[in-house]
Amino acid sequence: MKTKALLLSLCPGFLAAAAHADVLAIKVGRAETVSKGVIEHAVIFVEDGKIVTIGEDLPIDRGIPVLDRPDWTVMPGLVNCYSRMGCDSEGGDDMSPNTKASDELWPKADEYAELVKYGVTTLGLYPAGNGIPGQAVAVRTKANTAEEMILQDSVYLKIILRSDSTSKKRITDAFKKADDYNEKVKKAREKFDKEKDKKGAKKEEKPAEEKKALEEPKADEAKKEDAKDGFVPPEAEPKVKPFVDLRNKSLRALVSISSSADYLHWLDALGKESINWDLRCLMNRDSDLFYVVNKKAWDLDVDGIGDQKVRVVMEPILSLVPGTMRQRNLSLEFANAGAKVVFIPRNDTLPDHKLWLTNVGEMVNAGLKRELALRAVTLEPAELMGVEKHVGSLDKGKDANMVFVNGDPFEPTTRIQAVMLDGKFVFGEVNQ
Amino acid sequence: MIQKPTWWKPLVAAVLALPVLSTSTFAFQEGGDASGDKKEEAKKDDKDKKPEDRWFAVLNGDIHTGTGEVLRGASLLAKNGKIEKIGYDLDLPKDTKTLDAKGYRVYPGLVAISSQGLMGNAASDFEDTIDPFNSRMVLALATGITTTGTGGSAVKLKRFSVNDMVLSEKQFAIFSWSNRTPRGKSELREKFKNSAEYLRQYREWERKVRDQKDLPEPSKRNVDNTCLAVLKGEQTAKFTANDRDELLGIARLAQEYGFRPLIEGAQEAWTIADELGRAGARVILTPRDRNEKDEQQAREGGTSIENAAILHRAGVQVAIVPSTEGVDLGGIAGRDIIHLPVEVGFAVRGGLPEKAALESITIVPARMLGCANRVGSLEVGKDCDLIVTDGDLLHYQTFVQWAVVDGKQVYDKEKEFYYAQIRPRPAAEQPKKLDKGESEPKPKEGDEAKKDGAGSDEKKDDAKKEGDGEKKDDEKKDGEKKEG
Repeated sequence: MKTKALLLSLCPGFLAAAAHADVLAIKVGRAETVSKGVIEHAVIFVEDGKIVTIGEDLPIDRGIPVLDRPDWTVMPGLVNCYSRMGCDSEGGDDMSPNTKASDELWPKADEYAELVKYGVTTLGLYPAGNGIPGQAVAVRTKANTAEEMILQDSVYLKIILRSDSTSKKRITDAFKKADDYNEKVKKAREKFDKEKDKKGAKKEEKPAEEKKALEEPKADEAKKEDAKDGFVPPEAEPKVKPFVDLRNKSLRALVSISSSADYLHWLDALGKESINWDLRCLMNRDSDLFYVVNKKAWDLDVDGIGDQKVRVVMEPILSLVPGTMRQRNLSLEFANAGAKVVFIPRNDTLPDHKLWLTNVGEMVNAGLKRELALRAVTLEPAELMGVEKHVGSLDKGKDANMVFVNGDPFEPTTRIQAVMLDGKFVFGEVNQ
Repeated sequence: MIQKPTWWKPLVAAVLALPVLSTSTFAFQEGGDASGDKKEEAKKDDKDKKPEDRWFAVLNGDIHTGTGEVLRGASLLAKNGKIEKIGYDLDLPKDTKTLDAKGYRVYPGLVAISSQGLMGNAASDFEDTIDPFNSRMVLALATGITTTGTGGSAVKLKRFSVNDMVLSEKQFAIFSWSNRTPRGKSELREKFKNSAEYLRQYREWERKVRDQKDLPEPSKRNVDNTCLAVLKGEQTAKFTANDRDELLGIARLAQEYGFRPLIEGAQEAWTIADELGRAGARVILTPRDRNEKDEQQAREGGTSIENAAILHRAGVQVAIVPSTEGVDLGGIAGRDIIHLPVEVGFAVRGGLPEKAALESITIVPARMLGCANRVGSLEVGKDCDLIVTDGDLLHYQTFVQWAVVDGKQVYDKEKEFYYAQIRPRPAAEQPKKLDKGESEPKPKEGDEAKKDGAGSDEKKDDAKKEGDGEKKDDEKKDGEKKEG
C-alpha cells in the first residue's frame, strides 16, 4: 500500500515537472472503471489523449488544471461493436469475406456527431450484405479523416448463418478452399526445398531474407518459420485469405444467428475447424434461443452457447416464455451458463443509441448483474474486437474515452453531462 | 375398441412363447461363448466403449411391440439408440438413463406417411434446413409421431439435433392415372411396356454376356428411367386416385407389369378390394373422407367408413393419414396431423382390427417409406423410437406422456406447455394403498418427524386419486364394450 501511495503521489508530480501543458486532472464522485470495480472520489490524470493515472483521492500538483465535479460519475466511453452507423453502401456478392468496412468510412456523417452526445466513443462497423459480407473495423466516433477514424481494422469477419444449405455450404466450401491453399503452400515449400538442396552450399543472402520476413509480419507461425530460410509462401486468393486467417486465429468470426436451429447448423457447418468465434444473436420477444443456452437443460448432443464460453452480441430485450406472457431474461441465462454478454442498442438507430443505457438498465432490473451489464457495453465489446488495450475501461495507458453522468448510468433519469474522446471533450460545456 | 372375444389369444401366446424364446436365445448365447468368439467380442466392446455407450431404458410398461404382442410390465433397454433387449428383469448397465413407465403403455413411435411442416420450413436438404426446435415438431411428438414422411422421404423428429435423422429419401415415383386424361394413361402404359421389354432384354443379356463377351448391351432408347426404377423395385410407384375406375386401372396396370402400386386417396377402393389385394396394392387413406356416390352409376361407389377394414380383409396394406397434412390451427379441430391416432380410431369404428389399426400408423407406413428396418415396431436391433401413453393409443382421451427418439427422451408432457395442464401426471412414487385395519410399515426414525403433520393428509388424497383412476379405467372399458 505504501509503495502504491508513493507511486501515485509521485506520478502527477513527475508530470508537472515535465511541464506538459495539456495534463488535465479530473475529480469526480465515483468512477466505474469496469476493469477494477468502483473508485469513490476518483482522480484521473489525462495527458496526450491517454489516461495516465487513476486512483482514489490522488493529490494534484499546483498548476495542473482540475475539473472538479463531485456529483458526477465517470464510466468508460460506450463501445458498440455491431453497427452500420454512418455507412450507407449496399451489400454485394454473398461471398465477399475480403470486403472491408474500413473502405467506406465517412467521418463527416451526421450520425457520429450525435452518437458522441450519447456517450458512444467506439464503434465496430461491419460491411453490408448477406452471407459472408466481410470484415468489420473498429473506429472512433470523431475524427477528421477516414484514416484517423480507424482504431483497428479487420476486427472480425461477419458471417450470417441461417438454417439452409447454401449458407452452410458457403462455410464448408470456404474452408475447403483454405485446405487447397495449404496444399499449394506445401507444394511450393517442397519445390523450394528441392531447389535449395540443388544450390547446395551456396549461402543465401541474409538481407533479402530479413526483408521478406518483414514483409509478412502478420503471417502465421508456420509461415514465419518458412520466412526464416527465405521461403515465401504463395499469396492466398483474396476470398480465401480470411479463412486462412480464421484458422491461424489472426482473425475472429462473428456469426449471426437468429434461432436455436441456426446455432446447431452453425456447429454442424463448422465441423472440426478450430477458430475463434463469437455469436451475434438476433433477439426478439419470441426468441427460442433458450433451448441452446446450455447442453444440460435440454440434453443437447452438442455444447450449448454457455458451454462454449463465447460472447453473445445481443439487444437488451426481454423475451417471453413461449405460449405465455411471462418474461425471461436471456442475457441473464447466457451469463449464468458461462457465455459473455455483449449488448448493442435495440436497433441501429440514433434514438436507440440514446436509450441504450436505459434499456440495458432494464436487464439489470430483470436480474443481470450490474457489473456484467456495464462490462457488456464497454470492455466486453472491446475485447471482442481486440481493442481492449485502447478502450473499454478506465485504466492507466488506455485512451481517455469517458462518459460523465449525473447519477447511476442505468437510471432512466440520469443524463450524460459530458463525453471525452481521446482526451478531448467532444460533448458538454465544461468550464475547468 | 378391442375385439372382446379374441384379444387375449395373442397375449397368452406371447406369454407362453416368451420363456421358450428367452431360454432358446440363452442357450444359443452360451454356445457362442464357449468358442473363441468371446475374446473377440470383448475386444469389440472395448473398441465400442471409447466413445462412451449411451444406455436408455423404459421400465415396467405395457409394451405394445407393434408386431402383435403385448408384454405387460416389461422393460426395454437401448444401447446408442438401438433396441438391445426387450423383456423382464433386465440388467441395466451403469449410467443407464431410465424412464419409469409403470402403469403406462409403450408403443412404437408413429410414422406419419404424408405430413408437412413438422421440421420447420425444411422441404429438402433436411439435414441442412431442419429446425429441431420448432413448435410443430413438439406438437407432432405430443401426438406420438416420431417419423415424418414427406414427399417420399422419411425423417425422424430428432429434437435438439441436426444430424443423422434422415431415414430414407425419394422413395416414391409419382405417376398420374386419371380418367380425365385418357392419353396420359395410354402413354404411361407404353412407358411401362418399353421399360419391361428393356428389362427383359437386359436380364437376358446379363445371362448371356458371361459366355459371349462381345454381346452388345440392349439399347436404352425410349426407356423411361422412372418406370424402370419401379420395375427394378428401386422406387415405389405412387398414384393419387379415388375413383373406382381409376383404381381398377392402376391395379390392372400393376398386375400386368408386376409392381406393387401405392395409392393415396383410395376413397372407392372398398368396392374393388379384392382386385387391389391381388395386385398387391398398398393404400394411404383417410377414414373420415366423405364423398357421395356417382348417382349415374348403378354399381357401388362413394366413401365408406368400412374402407380400411374391407381393404385390410382383402390383404391390402393400409396406412392412415388425417385429411390435413400439416398442423392446422384454424377451422375445425381434429382433422390435422396432430390427430393421427384419432383418425385411426374411425377406421376401427369401421371394423379395422386393433392390430391393423396400430400397424396403419407404424410399420405399414414405415414399409412404404422403405425404413421398416429401422422404425415402425419395437424389436431388438431396431431404433429406439417409442412413445409412452397413459391409455389406449387410439382412445380420444389418451395423451402421449413421453416420446423417445434414438434412445433419447425428446418430449415430456409435463415439461412442454401445450398439454401439461390437462390431467397432470400423478407423482411417480405413490404410497402403498392399505385396507382398513392394516398397519403401515414403521417409517425410519428420521422420517417420522417430517411426516407427522401433513403426511397423513397427503396419503389420503393419493388414495382417493388412485380410486378415481380405477373408476375411470372401468368407465373406459365399458365404453369400449359398447362401441365394439
